[in-house]
Amino acid sequence: MATPAALPPLPFNPSRVRSYLLRLPLFTRLVVLVIIVFWLLELQKVWSVIKWGSLIPDEIGIGSMYRLNTYPFIHMGFFHAFLNLVALTPLVERFEAEHGTLTAVALFLGPLSTFPAGIYILIEKLLLHSNTAVVGASVWVFLLLGSEAIKTFKSNPYFSLGSYKIPTWTSPLFACVFVSILVPNTSFLGHLCAILIGYLFGLGYLKVFVPPEKILRWIEGKLNLLGRLPHYISVDQKTYGRYGVLPTANTMGERGTPMSYLGSSQPAIRKLRGNPYFLFVHLPHILSFLCVLAGVFWLLLLPLNDYSRQTYISENALLPGQVHAYFSGSEQNIFRGYKRELEGLLPNGPPGEGQERNDVEFTPDISDKIQSVLRASGLKVATQNYEYTSAGITHQGQNVYSIIQAPRGDATEAIVLVTAWKTVDGELNLNGVTLALTLARYFKRWSLWSKDIIFLITPDSKSGTQAWIDAYHDMQPPSVQPLPLKSGALQGGLVVEYPFDHRFESLHIVYDGVNGQLPNLDLINTAVSIAGGQMGIGANLQEMWDHDDSYEARLQTILRGMAKQGFGYATGAHSSFMPYHIDAITLQTKGDGWQDEMALGRTVESLCRSLNNLLEHLHQSFFFYLLMQTNRFVSIGTYLPSAMLIAGNFTIMAIALWLRTGYYMGPKANPSVDAGASQSEEKLKDRAATPQDKGERKAVNVDPKSDTNGIIERQLALPLSFVVGLHLLGLIPLFIFNNLSHKYFTTATYTFAVVDLVLPLCLAVLLTRGFTPKPQQYLLMKSFSLLLLGLFLSTLAILNFSLSFMIGLLCTPLSFVNRISPHSRAPLRYALAFMGLVFLNLLSPPVALLGGCWYTGVSVETVLTQAAFGWDVWGMWTQVVVWCVWWPAWVIGCALLGFSIF
Amino acid sequence: MPVDRRQAAVFAGALALRLLLLGLFPSLPDLLTGRVEVSTPITSFKRLQEGLFLYTRNVSPYDGGVFHQAPLLLPIFALLPNARDFPLPTALFYSLVDLINANALITISDSGQAVSGRLFSALRKHIRWDGVSVAAWFLFNPFTIATCLGRSTGVFTTTGILYALSNAVCGNSLNAMLSLGFASYLSIYPALLVLPLVLLCYDRRAQGSKPSSGASLFAVQHLAIFLLSIAGLLGISGLIVGDFSQFISATYGFQLLVPDLTPNVGLWWYFFIEMFDSFREFFLGVFWLHLAAYVGGLTIRLRRQPLFIITSLLGIFAVFKPYPSISDASLYFALLPLYRHLFPLMRYTFFAVSALLYATLLGPAFYHLWIYAGSGNANFFYAITLVWSLGLSILLADTIFAVLRDEWEQENPEMRGKEARQV
Repeated sequence: MATPAALPPLPFNPSRVRSYLLRLPLFTRLVVLVIIVFWLLELQKVWSVIKWGSLIPDEIGIGSMYRLNTYPFIHMGFFHAFLNLVALTPLVERFEAEHGTLTAVALFLGPLSTFPAGIYILIEKLLLHSNTAVVGASVWVFLLLGSEAIKTFKSNPYFSLGSYKIPTWTSPLFACVFVSILVPNTSFLGHLCAILIGYLFGLGYLKVFVPPEKILRWIEGKLNLLGRLPHYISVDQKTYGRYGVLPTANTMGERGTPMSYLGSSQPAIRKLRGNPYFLFVHLPHILSFLCVLAGVFWLLLLPLNDYSRQTYISENALLPGQVHAYFSGSEQNIFRGYKRELEGLLPNGPPGEGQERNDVEFTPDISDKIQSVLRASGLKVATQNYEYTSAGITHQGQNVYSIIQAPRGDATEAIVLVTAWKTVDGELNLNGVTLALTLARYFKRWSLWSKDIIFLITPDSKSGTQAWIDAYHDMQPPSVQPLPLKSGALQGGLVVEYPFDHRFESLHIVYDGVNGQLPNLDLINTAVSIAGGQMGIGANLQEMWDHDDSYEARLQTILRGMAKQGFGYATGAHSSFMPYHIDAITLQTKGDGWQDEMALGRTVESLCRSLNNLLEHLHQSFFFYLLMQTNRFVSIGTYLPSAMLIAGNFTIMAIALWLRTGYYMGPKANPSVDAGASQSEEKLKDRAATPQDKGERKAVNVDPKSDTNGIIERQLALPLSFVVGLHLLGLIPLFIFNNLSHKYFTTATYTFAVVDLVLPLCLAVLLTRGFTPKPQQYLLMKSFSLLLLGLFLSTLAILNFSLSFMIGLLCTPLSFVNRISPHSRAPLRYALAFMGLVFLNLLSPPVALLGGCWYTGVSVETVLTQAAFGWDVWGMWTQVVVWCVWWPAWVIGCALLGFSIF
Repeated sequence: MPVDRRQAAVFAGALALRLLLLGLFPSLPDLLTGRVEVSTPITSFKRLQEGLFLYTRNVSPYDGGVFHQAPLLLPIFALLPNARDFPLPTALFYSLVDLINANALITISDSGQAVSGRLFSALRKHIRWDGVSVAAWFLFNPFTIATCLGRSTGVFTTTGILYALSNAVCGNSLNAMLSLGFASYLSIYPALLVLPLVLLCYDRRAQGSKPSSGASLFAVQHLAIFLLSIAGLLGISGLIVGDFSQFISATYGFQLLVPDLTPNVGLWWYFFIEMFDSFREFFLGVFWLHLAAYVGGLTIRLRRQPLFIITSLLGIFAVFKPYPSISDASLYFALLPLYRHLFPLMRYTFFAVSALLYATLLGPAFYHLWIYAGSGNANFFYAITLVWSLGLSILLADTIFAVLRDEWEQENPEMRGKEARQV
């Protein structure tokens, strides 16, 4: 009606196409589905479906016989699959309609695919001695064409072109020739083999392979296939001949099973709309699960070339490696001299035994020596004492730093060069410190600096820089001294570590900051390009020493980066700079090669020259990225959906539960609950209505449902206070674990694992006995808890993607944990609840911590001491997420299981 | 009396919670005071302290262009000890103001004006919360607590509005007008509420047994009272600050012309940052007109429920005001539970509440990324303020729909509980 009359009628009738598609029988649907699934599987690059399932003559052995059956389902690409599907569907549909579903299954999975394959292999291997792989459903197309041609030949032997009479059975051969000419890369031989078998089948020589009807009928009767399977064509229903009436039309309507998601046909969806149980209970679970799967799958796609990008320098001013680095020659003698002077102050005396020197503290003597060296180079020098106490351990020391005032600048901007006496792994960084001293003397003589250069030498990598940078911005705690000497805004920071005496092979760039903050990608790119391009020193990331740029190596790099980001601890002295929006990285020397300290010095010089060029703070490039190789990364737009999907799964479930509590409370199978609920509701209403006069009450008290517009009243007070209360309760373990002495950490963790075991059950008992919640309220509890979880995780995904992803994954079971209905049989209920509780307890925060420690071989005490230190000194908030987001959600999940016991 | 005991418990709990938060996290008030979501240029406690400093040293508080609040606040706060050294008295004072507001809410709720007035009576009036629950909802609302701890001077405007309402529903129309005058004096926008408030007072008067004077006379009388109260307050202010014109331009001029574009949860700042200067006056006019236009429309359409007009207008102000903060939203949320009987008719509560929750969490996160981490930009935060406004607007539209539906069901009793579509 809506179409204007002027439009020409469509060349085909879409409703007929639709009805044709809707009437496709079962086996045809399955074939189409499998072909599509395999085509989709080919989209990923990890596991080559084609390599796995194609018919390769040389590969056929006893173990790989499956190829004889799999090859028709596999295609080379979209067009291959699409064309074959278009050709195949009508043919198979007709075949199935004629022979019945069971016969079709038996033949197509058996002789009709293995025989052509067998002949093909025999000819290809024995006669032609070549090895061409074939895939695709075209073999069936030609086979069926062949058998059809024979049938046509029987009724209509020739068609005449002029005076020539061409036998109709040759038509598939013509088609085969045309296809080989028109479509590239088709297997002429394969098609011929298929046609041959098709002829044989058409002529009836293959009848022996058709299973006898009696057996089929018996199977059908036993399994009641007709009643169970939608679109099934029975042995008796099958039509003989092309023009037989298809019996599907009337059988379709009878079978009311909520069928086949594969067909995704309109009536099916319409039926689902009328099926509230599916809509409110099953669908959200499916959607949630799909979200989780998609989130994980998305992450796995990231290392592929299509989803990641080559790094590039975005800030033009950096000009990495464009200047010659002059740090060499006589500076080496100065380096040796300084080193000798410092070595003289070590307790073990001059060199030799490098290993034992690792426990040398940064004594006042050394501090004085460093100050005198820096002063002798003509720099302003200052010191700062600091002291931190965390988990009963005191960390103290003295920072020494000096400033080269820029000859061409106005002291408004500065670069920091940090060397810690102890590296982040606790090794003595003698070469690094000496290099800094040498560079200070060397840089002082250059007149091209437009930014101040600050040399900071700290006793250790964990607290020293933090104390200094806090004091630089006047944010220090009282136990840390303020800085007597300051410069301008810090533009970038470099940390140098060279903790051994031999030459090194490559540079390891460490970039993760506290709480998963990252430095601008330009800084890393500059370092990589200077090290690799200018100096010829290889660069590594994330302790991936031999990165072969394979998918696995890339994924491993990403995952290591995510683990570090997720835990949010400081990975080096540079990490403390990140919260102040100062981009910083650590350069660590690794391996045994032929690069010496001069090469490292030149790299640092070149990096400083690049930073010196900056016109404004690094802002061009990315702040949110995952690096998978020194020159490849994914940016936030590409990877964020992964964590967002996982967080979204909780939100979907929360919304679904909310809707369910309002519109649908369980199947009508147990009306007792419903009646009970509505009765009590009625009672409440009565009580509320008593003060008013009776006449009005009668008018009011019609039907509780119509009163509220078909929506069941929700009782929010108990679920809300339960959920909010548990989230506040999380502050208690947070406080305990951050303020305990380090000696008690192991005990506390085990205690807490036990508390976690008991607490949800106690809560369940208390609530069930004390308040007797209604079934609706359990769902509301879960809804609120998941809503908050989704809320927190999606916010967190923006701040710290990896943490959100990890917590999200650990919490996924909570979406699917429900209070088991008390109407199910008691033993089953107890068993299920018990198993669920055991499973959830394996994923509780303390148990996860113990498991992680056991797996990595680090003691719990170390981890927790580090965490408490992070909380006290670095301002790390991973714990807050664990105790105030993860833990409450987990307790509610367990409590829901607990409710089903009591 | 059990009710009183409950009220006392709620009030004591709210007070204890505020003091507990202050005791546990001594840095919390200063943190909240600095948040753009809590403090706007016209309600900021920091700016008040600056004005106070100048005032106690006999310099005009408006010198320096930092202080933009009404001068009557200065002598009040001058009585309190310095908030920097002694935070407790100030916190106690603000908590007491919250309790006073809650008390007004109880009065409003107990009067039952929200469910039945002179011209209407809600269908589902048995579904309602009592005054103490409404007060608890207000006192334990995180937004209210944040406003209280952030010491935003917006709470005094809230007090003025709530007392205007509570006096109006009790029939003290004179006091209602005086209260509204006080609120309008502090920040201009409550003056827009005068029309529905006069209606409310008139309905209340007509409901009483007293033979009412003519409607127009009543309106003129009350408008006169309202204007006189403002004039009186302005007069006193003039006595406090010597320079009257400077005071007017620094306070009302600042609120009307919106020169300060510090980010806040509203929609104006970003719009006016992006605006070319030549269009500024025009769009200022359009924005104010837009804000004021709701008064007429809602007053005519919802004539029968003046209290609901005021509630909806407060929600609209929380979205479209020049310098909104969460204190405006908390005032709207405080009045919403009076309409508990409408909740069953609302359709998007969960969606709106989720949007508000998301905005509440993501707003500070995006602000952090923009201002502190430097890895985001202004669009991040603005996008979230849009979501926040969207959530509030949905809630608003939904409540108005519910009221209309309620009225419609009253007119068409046969349609109760049936599907209906708004077109």
